Amino acid sequence: MFYIGLLTFAASVLAILTALLLTVFQLIKRQTQLTKPVIQLANLSFGLHTLSILSLMVMQVLQDYSNAYVVSVVNSVMPTVLKMTAVWGGQAGSLIFWSWTLNLVLFISLHVRRQIQDAWSFLFTALNVLFFSSLSLFAENPFSRVWLLESGDVLDGVFSPAAGATVYGGISGFGLNPLLRHWGMVIHPPILYLGFALFLIPFSVAMSHLIRGESGEGLLGETRLWLLSAWVLLTAGIVLGSWWSYDVLGWGGYWAWDPVETASLIPWLTSTGLLHSLLLQKQRKIFKRFNFVLILLTYVMVIFSILITRAGLLNSVHAFGESKISLPLTLLTMILFGVCTGVLVWRWRSLYSGWELTSLVTRDAAFLYTNVILISLTVVCFYGLAYPLITGALTGTQIGLDRTFFDKAATPLFILLAVLMAVCPITAWTVNSAKQLGKAVRIPLVLSLALVVVYYFFLTKSWLGLLVLFVITFGLILMVGLTLRDSKTPRDATKKWWGQRARHGAWLVHAGVLLIALGIVGMEALEGSIQGTMIPGDKMPLRSYEVEFVQLTREYENPEYMTIEAELVLWKDGKAIDRLFPGQHLYEDRGQYVSVPDKRSTLRGDFYTLLLDYSGMMGYVTIQVSDNPLVNFMWIGALLMVLGAVLAASMPWKSLKLDSAEEQEQELAGS
Amino acid sequence: MKKTNRKTIIAVLVIAVALIALLIATTRSSTQYFLTVSELQSGDTDMTGRNVRMSGVVLGDTIVYDPQTLDLTFEVAQIPGDHRVIKEMGGMAVVLEQAAADPSLPRITIHYNGVKPDLLKHEAQAIVSGYLDANGVFQAKELLMKCPSKYESALPTQSGK
Repeated sequence: MFYIGLLTFAASVLAILTALLLTVFQLIKRQTQLTKPVIQLANLSFGLHTLSILSLMVMQVLQDYSNAYVVSVVNSVMPTVLKMTAVWGGQAGSLIFWSWTLNLVLFISLHVRRQIQDAWSFLFTALNVLFFSSLSLFAENPFSRVWLLESGDVLDGVFSPAAGATVYGGISGFGLNPLLRHWGMVIHPPILYLGFALFLIPFSVAMSHLIRGESGEGLLGETRLWLLSAWVLLTAGIVLGSWWSYDVLGWGGYWAWDPVETASLIPWLTSTGLLHSLLLQKQRKIFKRFNFVLILLTYVMVIFSILITRAGLLNSVHAFGESKISLPLTLLTMILFGVCTGVLVWRWRSLYSGWELTSLVTRDAAFLYTNVILISLTVVCFYGLAYPLITGALTGTQIGLDRTFFDKAATPLFILLAVLMAVCPITAWTVNSAKQLGKAVRIPLVLSLALVVVYYFFLTKSWLGLLVLFVITFGLILMVGLTLRDSKTPRDATKKWWGQRARHGAWLVHAGVLLIALGIVGMEALEGSIQGTMIPGDKMPLRSYEVEFVQLTREYENPEYMTIEAELVLWKDGKAIDRLFPGQHLYEDRGQYVSVPDKRSTLRGDFYTLLLDYSGMMGYVTIQVSDNPLVNFMWIGALLMVLGAVLAASMPWKSLKLDSAEEQEQELAGS
Repeated sequence: MKKTNRKTIIAVLVIAVALIALLIATTRSSTQYFLTVSELQSGDTDMTGRNVRMSGVVLGDTIVYDPQTLDLTFEVAQIPGDHRVIKEMGGMAVVLEQAAADPSLPRITIHYNGVKPDLLKHEAQAIVSGYLDANGVFQAKELLMKCPSKYESALPTQSGK
């Protein structure tokens, strides 16, 4: 298995290198069409790459402890699915997995119905695949073996480190850190990786357009689906990470402005801006320069994010800065940035498209404001991440920014963004007189106000929460109302709604973001918690709830860990409404425990319990309970965002159009 | 058209200025010094009360935790701040092991109020944010745990708030 894995991997790198050389040769001859041998070599490279990943997986499942990576991420008691997905559980494995993801994206781009790769874009895509594959092959090889030297020492290396050394399989595996033994680990990294990787194609195609001196008009249609899919997966990946940390990592935190989190947010911000201004370019033929900048910037920021995650530069400030790949990654980021800037400057004049807006209150102006805020947020995040690096390089003493910086600088911007999104469904109509506006919104307004009263009694009593819910409800009813108004039959209405699904999808995405904002308001402003020590029969009050501790139980059934659980009864108004079992998993092989919270989840919010401490002998437990109102709107909102984006993506680019202000005016006047 | 354009430029400029003002204002109030234990205690400049981020190796015997009040105290010992030095010494896992066993290294007591992180144990690396109080105790507002071993490098961090 070792040989299969290593040889296929090496051959895959060789294949992509050959394909690249062929392409360069062609480009010298000024041929920009991709030739068959190149495509075949790329296919071969992808196939071999896949085989090598599979053999790594097989080694993990078979617990081949002569492989150093397997030793580090697998042990005998981990369930098979975790043994398999441990491919992305450690540095070396996740690096080969990332390079494979890039190769996968290249493979897809060569075989989708509409070919978008030419020799130039292939050059850029394949260069990226080659870079990360080589990094994995030469610097962080997952096929490294464990060697027993004659002196009795154990070393790891792909090849024998000294004469007389033998391959040694006697170390039993450490296994993944217990915190990673969770299904969040199974799905969160691959989704995020794929989201990141998909940005490579728009990047390469844009570079090709720039180098060939094309107008860039065709670029929009070609890359929109790639951008949207990347955006959907990136959104899902980020939220899944947040959900995982809320659900499992213990303290109910969902976002900590950790450098790695912040770095993954940057490409999200730039690509969100890009999705908006692409529409402006299509509709008004403006902002072409801006779009090229954003496409390139997004991918550079993806690489920057990888640099932050892997090189440990930021954490290395006073911590974990050991990585063989930090120098090549830093160089790559800088070279990419340099090349992109160079190409843009070179073609800057030819990209001129004008940027006149018809008015400062129409929807296209709102798009512009949105992008200004998104870019500002990008600047804030990047500045916060780069600050310690810059001060460290300039003064020798590193001075950084703590998380209050992000809280303080980003919050006002996010609030502005939320306000913009809230008014978005109405912006289309602001050019009209107030009278016409009043006509269109009268019924939705009354209906949504009535629903707010319902929310007040059944959902939340926070005025801010109610305001957000009002805006969302109003927009939703308005959307449905405008669709229904002109349709005589349900069939008509469905057809009309489907015909405008790009707009409705976008609106769903906005509603989703607002719901996430609502969840954040719940967590930050309305959360309440208490902790206390109890013996069986004790009760602890929190708001209108009471928690009763019944007993402490132990269980030894799982081979991985021992489970300690506190049985709690949740009382509300004198009635027992639920039983909760917060606990701890004790991993004896690690001498480590993982807290496993338990919660009662409803639309109103979560009742979240955590077992902090216990004494079997004395029979007491210490429990923390939190009331997290509205938090589940975060996950519902994320789901809406994903669904909305998929809905919008299903609309062909050609039939996509923004309504001009005049058309909307007519539409309303006709009603 | 032209007029609108000028307005837009002005608007963008105003926003840019506002953004820079926001950055400057928040930078000033959020600056944090990244120091090692010995740098903090050296007294070259008095760091008492300043916003500091520091990392050290946890000494398991010193962990005291009261789950009733959530008061947590423990000692950490000096580890180098420069990752090149750490690399030369054989990597973080080796550095942590040696530092925890070496009584000659500077140590400091950390106090933190909050839930005890699962990863807090002997030889784990603690990254704390907070300030040095007048008694020489480090009052941590944020606590981040890492426990790298020879074969692990992609561990998540756990952060308490």
